[in-house]
Amino acid sequence: MASAVELKGVTKRFGDVVAVDDVDLSIADGEFFALLGPSGCGKTTTLRMIAGLDLPSAGSLTIHGEEVGPLPPNKRPVNTVFQNYALFPHLSIEDNVAFGLKMQKVAKGEVGRRVAEAIELVQLGGMERRKPTQLSGGQQQRVALARALVNRPKVLLLDEPLAALDLKLRQGMQNELKALQREVGITFVFVTHDQEEALSMADRIGVMGDAKLLQVGRPEEIYEQPVSRFVADFIGRSNFLPGTVAAASTVTLANGASIPAPTADRAAGTVVDVSLRPERVRVEQRDAAPDDVARLDGVVRSATFLGNAMVYSLGFDWLELEARLENRPSQQRFSPGDEITVWWREDAIAVVDGGSG
Amino acid sequence: MIRGWTARLLGGATGLVYLFLYAPVLLLVVFSFSADRNVGRWGGFTLEWYREFGANENVQSALAISLQVAIVSTLVATVLGTLAALALERFRFRGKKVFDALLYLPIIIPDVTMAVMMLLFFTWSLDLVDTVTGFQLRKGIATVVVSHIAFNISFVSVVVRARLEGMDQTLEQAAADLYASRWQAFRHVTLPLILPGIVGGALLALTLSLDDVVITQFASGPGSTTLPVYVFGLIRRGVTPLINAVSVVMLAASVLLVVLSLIAQRSREPGRATTE
Repeated sequence: MASAVELKGVTKRFGDVVAVDDVDLSIADGEFFALLGPSGCGKTTTLRMIAGLDLPSAGSLTIHGEEVGPLPPNKRPVNTVFQNYALFPHLSIEDNVAFGLKMQKVAKGEVGRRVAEAIELVQLGGMERRKPTQLSGGQQQRVALARALVNRPKVLLLDEPLAALDLKLRQGMQNELKALQREVGITFVFVTHDQEEALSMADRIGVMGDAKLLQVGRPEEIYEQPVSRFVADFIGRSNFLPGTVAAASTVTLANGASIPAPTADRAAGTVVDVSLRPERVRVEQRDAAPDDVARLDGVVRSATFLGNAMVYSLGFDWLELEARLENRPSQQRFSPGDEITVWWREDAIAVVDGGSG
Repeated sequence: MIRGWTARLLGGATGLVYLFLYAPVLLLVVFSFSADRNVGRWGGFTLEWYREFGANENVQSALAISLQVAIVSTLVATVLGTLAALALERFRFRGKKVFDALLYLPIIIPDVTMAVMMLLFFTWSLDLVDTVTGFQLRKGIATVVVSHIAFNISFVSVVVRARLEGMDQTLEQAAADLYASRWQAFRHVTLPLILPGIVGGALLALTLSLDDVVITQFASGPGSTTLPVYVFGLIRRGVTPLINAVSVVMLAASVLLVVLSLIAQRSREPGRATTE
């Protein structure tokens, strides 16, 4: 597959601050790619560098094989949907959408046809003559999409496209965006701090933290096999059980118990954390757990009812765990003070480098 | 009933303030229609003084000079002031803060100081031209125009900057992202959005130029007497009803320009409401 966007050793410094540190990334043509990370992690700067709104301090950036590093934004075959949409307040919807084509001096007849098409695509027919301020947030978002897509960019960049919408609208737009991307077949790169949004929409996710690209993979990979404690902690929730690698595929936990775990190629003696998702924790009454699995005895500290699930805080003499049990009729419930045993399937855990972070 | 008392007291004070502010204006307007040659004595209604305003050659030539000076200085100051505002608002460069402060200085410099500065500057620079090139230049309309440009640049750039500050900068980035060159982005996005500020600034500059006496007096030479300077000269020879009429016309023009300036500046805030 040809790369739509390729970053090699891309670094961005603002004065003494390194905003993006030596990022290598290849985004395939036609892919729906999410850059995910907490605020200030460098994801927006990375997007802005692809757009040409910021220029890299070092490294190479190609779009469909063509080096674009030093090119200004108006010379790049990409378009951006800005976080606040940045619609031109003095222009009508129609003129907003036509802006890019007019700047490229596209013939008048074709401008009209393509603008009408784009407005139809985002279902804003009838709104052509309105001004942006006369539209709702969701409609403004569609105008921003149409204004970008009408240019048939090779890559569409979206900066937190749904952040300004309320929850209901956001969920609707998630589905729409995904359907739209399939329909137009353009590579979408979007930036978000919302892990659920990234997991549900993206074909692949790049997780960024502290200016670095930490992990790239399909949503399942990122969730099931996080490469670091940071990634595990940022994507969903996770418990971390401290331990050391005893031998290949065996970890000795801090309480002395040895458990089977996917240690990959870590050497014996390496300090690690075992990542265990709350919904993967199995809770049984004391001694009701199967015999042939890793298990820990503890006490229920607190129980929280969430409607669709119960969340328990479980106490052990060396750590605390969070467990999330779906609210099914067959599911046993526990109360604070109950003595319980916790266990998990061997494939429910991931091993990440231990210590801080 | 303290409430009633306070309200009455405040109402009375407010009335007094307005009386204080507008009684002179009212008197001026009323007596500009008085037929009696002695100012302050009502001699029946007449339009004689306005007729004289239209007929008096000195007044008419002063008015023509005033308009020339005001229009030229406003055009130049608007272009330069807008460019200065753009530079200070959109670019980062060494010593920006200093330039920023220096640009606003003419607004707070007392008129007399500014006038003396101008006098010195013109005397010195015209002498310099004389010694270097042999051309004997004199103060005249050109020097008045230059002095008006000098103080108007500051006012225009203050007004334009206020508008630029309120403009969302991502709009310019969006334009660039949509294939606009720098010039196209300015022409199609920035300029239309700050135009109300530019128009407001220009109208303000026009007003200030038409009203200025002190600086003009120091910068002008023979044959470059503007209307306010002419009126000021007349007053020294005693107030006549003609002066009242001229003053009323100038007052009306100023009020009209300031109102237009405010309307222009108030027109829709740029790029603010888009995210709501």
